[in-house]
Amino acid sequence: MTLKLRILSVSVVAAAGAWVLYNFAPTAYGFYPPCVFRMLTGLQCPGCGTTRALHHLLHGRFEEAFRLNPMLFVLMAVALFALPSVLRGRQPGFLMKPWFAWTAFAVLTSYWIVRNTPLYPF
Amino acid sequence: MNCPNCGTSNLDNATVCVNCGRSLSMGAYTPPPPPPSEFSAQPSQPPYNAPQIPNYLWQSIVVTLCCCLPLGIVSIIFAAQVNSKLAQGDIPGAQDASQKAKMFALIGFAVGIIGIIIWSLLFGAGMLQAWRDAQAANS
Repeated sequence: MTLKLRILSVSVVAAAGAWVLYNFAPTAYGFYPPCVFRMLTGLQCPGCGTTRALHHLLHGRFEEAFRLNPMLFVLMAVALFALPSVLRGRQPGFLMKPWFAWTAFAVLTSYWIVRNTPLYPF
Repeated sequence: MNCPNCGTSNLDNATVCVNCGRSLSMGAYTPPPPPPSEFSAQPSQPPYNAPQIPNYLWQSIVVTLCCCLPLGIVSIIFAAQVNSKLAQGDIPGAQDASQKAKMFALIGFAVGIIGIIIWSLLFGAGMLQAWRDAQAANS
């Protein structure tokens, strides 16, 4: 698959997903796939709340989105940073840096633990 | 042809990717054959410094966030080890960690997909039951 075709297909899928997410609130419709980890354990994973947060974000409600999953904003910042290389069909250089990988591990693991404790502010 | 590792388009007769250095022949990385010996009095230089080893970092992060499994975290640890070992020049260690990162990301992805398939079947069964109940109530 050529790079342009790949970018185009990802954009089409993302636009379709955004349309569904905009029009059907995840809290009102049950067809969104649930978090398997949460189903089995009752605990929240680092990705829990992303669907609901994206729904709020598409409606411009940043505060609600942030409350549901602040990690989404970090992730979007990283994705924005990676976008220029991805559009040129290259792997972003920071993915191969030790500091980035270990930071990602530390941030995700501590977020996973903290959000399941009473310390978590949201 | 496009590089299977980073997606960069290369010439059709290219043996290694111009961007990441991955071998474009089938299978695992193999060094290009040395030139005929009668003309190579000097030791042949490798065409690049070190083979690029995929660390599967973004795949691991996606598995952690979307499939919600501790397996994704394990995969991130191995991905980070790939980076550290490459930085230290430990190529075999990095290749080993790369294989493990790939394995755990794939298992995590598979478990997540299977969980969603099971949930979909249950959801579909629930919808069917609700529809039948509504039919029964109407008749």
